[in-house]
Amino acid sequence: MTSRLYRDEAVVIRSYKLGEADRIVVMLTRENGKVRAVAKGVRKTHSKFGGRLEPLSHVAVQIHRGTNLDVVNQVETIDSSGRMFGDLDVMTEGLAVLEAIDQLVPDREPVPEIFRMLVGVRKTLAERPSALVVPAFLLRLLASEGVRPELDRCVVCGEVESESTPLVAIDLERGGVQCRGCRSGVGVTSGALALLRDVLDGRLGEALDRAHRPGEQVLDDPVVVEVASIATRAFEFHVERRLRSVAIFERHDARSDS
Amino acid sequence: MASTYTLPVQNLIDHLGRLPGIGPRSAQRIAFHLLKLPAEDVQRLTQAITDAKERVRFCSQCFNFAEDDLCPICADPRRDSSVICVVEESRDIIPLERTGEFKGRYHVLLGVMNPIEGIGPDQLKMRELVMRIGSEDVREVIVCTNPNTEGEVTAQYIGRLLKPFDITVTRPASGLPVGGDLEYADELTLGRAISGRRRLDD
Repeated sequence: MTSRLYRDEAVVIRSYKLGEADRIVVMLTRENGKVRAVAKGVRKTHSKFGGRLEPLSHVAVQIHRGTNLDVVNQVETIDSSGRMFGDLDVMTEGLAVLEAIDQLVPDREPVPEIFRMLVGVRKTLAERPSALVVPAFLLRLLASEGVRPELDRCVVCGEVESESTPLVAIDLERGGVQCRGCRSGVGVTSGALALLRDVLDGRLGEALDRAHRPGEQVLDDPVVVEVASIATRAFEFHVERRLRSVAIFERHDARSDS
Repeated sequence: MASTYTLPVQNLIDHLGRLPGIGPRSAQRIAFHLLKLPAEDVQRLTQAITDAKERVRFCSQCFNFAEDDLCPICADPRRDSSVICVVEESRDIIPLERTGEFKGRYHVLLGVMNPIEGIGPDQLKMRELVMRIGSEDVREVIVCTNPNTEGEVTAQYIGRLLKPFDITVTRPASGLPVGGDLEYADELTLGRAISGRRRLDD
């Protein structure tokens, strides 16, 4: 008989209350994809799992495969979400990342590449947070799904960017940028276009370094704001749903500015 | 599926089965117990439910359950009105009252911020909290939301919201449960217990 226990590495995505003191924990695992499992008694103060199964925690788990729902058996922390607690912006950004993954990834389908990206983005959020982290993650997530927006040539006439034919707009329904003659989407500045290319063409590290200034969040950089709006719309267009945590976060910004 | 019970009994079982924590078996057991009770006992129970539903409302100041305009805590002149303890639900007041450590007043948010579920500050009694700070003589706000991700997001948000006011905003310490073993403490709780340690001679 095969063992009904399995071990995996996981990042907790979200959790729902179940009954008096239990929770259903949804996590993205390295080998088993998105898994739902019951964590018994986690809401009690004497719980043996305690704060290890809070969203954003990176853990090693042992899970018992049940007939209906799996049950979490043991949890060990690899990297706790503690570093992100205490900063509202980082926490909300982390939750936006988790929501995006929850919407995109189907249950029980191994997605090692997305798992690797999730572990990476956790680290980035904790170590060099900036307003660019979430949009960059959304764009890379879309690229890994095979829906990378075309950024180098007009999606209508195929013209490559040049002095005489600048690429001035982006139409997400058509899948990328457009020149002045073919324009049907919303306008895009050359700065935002350059940043989009940095994010998607392997210069993400440098772009994040520029966006991150120690001790402060660069929320008002107009280029980052523009890229963030494009990334959110592109993602929402692809999954055909609104990202709720991003919507709440945008309202925060409006308030803390005023 | 044809019901084995007569319609009124089936109806009672269905309604009881909708209560939290009551499965079909318990619903059946309670229903038969109720049917065996003397009529006046059943009358008292239905009266108690109707009364509670009719007379209980939210306190106009703190949104705790109240019979009058103000809840007993807001109406009590001996409570310290300069300290407000913010909690998620009315039921959170009970354990806090049992500690006997807190003599101030409460503010019930009637929920917690949950970005992934789309619950933001506008769905909670957040604006009412800010109005209380403005009108009452408040010196300190203790944000006593649950120590989980949603509670923490809410606490941080309140901290940011109340920054313009000249008051202290605090959060209860996180730490080890009395009677627990250090060996079983999770890193997050233990880490916070260490960073929030206090001098022995205090």
